[in-house]
Amino acid sequence: MMFGRSRLGGVLAYLAAAFLLLPLAAVIPVSFTAKRFLSMPNGEWSLRHYRSLFEDGAWLSSIGTSVSIALMSSVLATALAIMFGLGLWLGRPRVGAFLVGFALLPMVVPPVTSAIILYFLLARLGLLDTIPGLVIGHAIMTMPFAVVAMLSAFAKLDRGLDMAARNLGASTGQSIFLVVLPNLKTGTLSAWFLTFMLSWEETTVTLFTSGVEVITLPKRIWDNLRLNVDPVIAAISVVMVVLTTVVIITRALARHRLSPSG
Amino acid sequence: MAGASRNGNGGLGTRALLWTLPVLLLTLYVVPFAGVISWSVTQPEVGFGQYWRILSGGDMTNVFLRTLRIAVVSTAITILVGFCLSYYWVMGSRLRQTILEVCIFIPFWISVLVRAFGWLIILRDNGLANGFLMATRLISEPLGTGRNEFAVIVGMVHFMVPFSVFPMATVMRKIDRRILLAAHGLGADPATVFRKIFLPLSMPGVFAAFVMVLVFSVGFFVTPAILGGGRVVMVAEAVFVQMFQTTNWGLGAAMSVVLLVLIGAIVGLAYRLLGLRSFVG
Amino acid sequence: MENHFKQDCLILLKDRLTQGSIDRRTFLTGLVALGALSAINGGPAKAAGGDLVVTNWGGDAVPAFKSAFTDGFGASSGLNVKIDGSGSTKGAMKAQFDSGTVRWDVCDADPGSTKSLGDAGMIEKVDYAIVDKGKVEEGFAYEYSIANYFFSYVIAYDASKFAGDPPKSWADFWDVKKYPGKRTMYKWMAGSLEAALMADGVPMDKLYPLDMDRAFAKLEELKPHIVSYWDSGAESQQLLRDGEVSMGLVWHTRANLVETDTNGAVSWTYAQGIMAPSGWTVIKGNPAGKDAAMKFIAYCQDPARQVVLLETLGSGPANPAAHALVPAKSKRLDCSSPENRALQVAMDMDWYAANSNKALERYLAMVAG
Repeated sequence: MMFGRSRLGGVLAYLAAAFLLLPLAAVIPVSFTAKRFLSMPNGEWSLRHYRSLFEDGAWLSSIGTSVSIALMSSVLATALAIMFGLGLWLGRPRVGAFLVGFALLPMVVPPVTSAIILYFLLARLGLLDTIPGLVIGHAIMTMPFAVVAMLSAFAKLDRGLDMAARNLGASTGQSIFLVVLPNLKTGTLSAWFLTFMLSWEETTVTLFTSGVEVITLPKRIWDNLRLNVDPVIAAISVVMVVLTTVVIITRALARHRLSPSG
Repeated sequence: MAGASRNGNGGLGTRALLWTLPVLLLTLYVVPFAGVISWSVTQPEVGFGQYWRILSGGDMTNVFLRTLRIAVVSTAITILVGFCLSYYWVMGSRLRQTILEVCIFIPFWISVLVRAFGWLIILRDNGLANGFLMATRLISEPLGTGRNEFAVIVGMVHFMVPFSVFPMATVMRKIDRRILLAAHGLGADPATVFRKIFLPLSMPGVFAAFVMVLVFSVGFFVTPAILGGGRVVMVAEAVFVQMFQTTNWGLGAAMSVVLLVLIGAIVGLAYRLLGLRSFVG
Repeated sequence: MENHFKQDCLILLKDRLTQGSIDRRTFLTGLVALGALSAINGGPAKAAGGDLVVTNWGGDAVPAFKSAFTDGFGASSGLNVKIDGSGSTKGAMKAQFDSGTVRWDVCDADPGSTKSLGDAGMIEKVDYAIVDKGKVEEGFAYEYSIANYFFSYVIAYDASKFAGDPPKSWADFWDVKKYPGKRTMYKWMAGSLEAALMADGVPMDKLYPLDMDRAFAKLEELKPHIVSYWDSGAESQQLLRDGEVSMGLVWHTRANLVETDTNGAVSWTYAQGIMAPSGWTVIKGNPAGKDAAMKFIAYCQDPARQVVLLETLGSGPANPAAHALVPAKSKRLDCSSPENRALQVAMDMDWYAANSNKALERYLAMVAG
């Protein structure tokens, strides 16, 4: 294989990767500051923000709330996007382009406007400041991104696959579950991951439609922002970064062990 | 039902798959949104005054022009950087893949606020970057990289690159490497194979990333507010002002509609230019 | 309450399913969400007397309100008082009213915004049969709100540079030759026009109605020296603390925190400060009812409770009787005390109610231009 080996291109990719890591040069030291506000430690290093992260139940419970809302809304959004993509791919309707534009609407409307729209919706459903309400809100806000990710996966899907399966006697359902979906694995994972992350960070709609009963992580961070930015958020970021790195490297090592060709 | 959808248009099942999302969206989002659109021509009085204000060349026009300028620049940079990363994430050696994967996934977990503050510490006049460059005598005075449009674009690109990688990498993974090898076997050098075969085949992913990033770039709020020194007011923030501070909901709604039309036009144009007929089935 | 709520959701979902406005899959997802809800949200049961939700601007203000007002009121009234720190912006209050689902009982809001919403029929008039007009500084008992505390827009400066001859006026703030260094001002305008006019020589007692053209001309003058227009209080502190600016127009509460954080390397003055009220506001149709909200407001007028707020948040008491109870070490923070008020000008909220929309748009265009 001669692709992906170019010296110059490799250097560019590593430069881009270094750019992605650059803020850590500030974020990691900030998480160890001894002060109660975001600042560089300037010689005074402390673990107090890590301690308050793990000892203050409020932060942990917000992380739990954020994770559950992100899980539910991302699964919902991705499932809807897969169904929609399948419908487009199998049916090839004439109004396809129109429907795609329609599905992308919540992503193009400014989030602030969506927040007001969703306030009115959730007020009518009686779901303001509840987890189901936030799940619906987040699913609507992130679903267009799942659609974009899924459509790019469908665009590369070989139509011959479905034909071949059908010609071998498979029903539509069998063809979808046994042939089409397995070929969309990376697309589905991307769509799910993107919507998960977008829900995890969602602030505008969350701030507007919740507040007392349900407190997500960004909501807690934002509460602190107006008057004081708590360095605990830097500590949370660092913990997440470390976890991510460990997971990816472990996975890579496991793969390496399984396939000696490496 | 089996086989019914073979010739397109499809049976009941296919139609149910297709219409679930649009119908849900219609009831949950579009109907209330239609109400918002109506504000744009009814509040504070009936007429197109709010649209006229946006298009007539005053302060709101400037907000839109500034947003478009920043969006175009940051989207272009993001797609280039993201493409380069996706290519080596998919095609590179095992080691390269793993290193890049770590770097792509990490930024997602750094809270937007902390990230903006991190960039501030790096970019401002008395920050890490200027300090380093001055210590190594590469520059003699600060470059003025903090709290302006430059800092905003850096912060935005940093946020968007990891997102742009996913749709591009998804498509690249599906490119049949045998085609590339065959072309190479027929005497094409790697650069030609890349330009003539790989690039066109990865276009659906580039387009998807483009749509996503363009939409992100006009919707930024927190990053410009922190890194722009309060001066870089973009559409999302201007809409916030109208919705939450002055409660001129008519203008906020009109701005949302104009933004929608603008983005739709740009995406439609790009779709035509790239000739991605196959994209929506 | 949990079960009741869940049951309600189930009925709602089922209705929608039979009506056909949602499909089976959504129904099932809803069930999953409700199941998860009980696992995540096993919170305490509702108090017998119902809820009262008080809204403020978040951060340190949440525990401060808790210790000064809501814990005590909850105990004495039997209501379960909760604090929502998401910020009672004008838009949020309007959305609550317009949607017919008001979630907040008492809002800590800007009296200027409140007046314009009140004129549009969205705000309850303050019931002065329950709330005592005599327990608030003269001139700050409005039709639709009543002052609950004060804060000031003041000059904070780098004392390590300017300690010998500290700035004493907005004219000094504008004087970048005598006081070199960058500046920061408030992004949301309040206080900035007044500062500009005073810098241009308008006497303190002749400020209102503000001469906008004159103020904007003066603001343009300082613009090249402004490194950042701060948005949140945290940002204003950071700019001063890290030495990015040598002077700033900031809230006195923030100035005081920076002074403590930097051991006096940054200091501040009330000279020509602009003192502004924040007001208790009740949106029409609030869930706990108008009377409960008014009783809460009356409860907070107690001077001792206002001193607790001063000690925790640094904001000046609204009730003049409170100043006598302020301990010596906190006297400086008490922006509404007669000594400190003499140095300052009071913000005219009626001017803001009538003009702030136009002025803010013009200000933001100037900032961005």
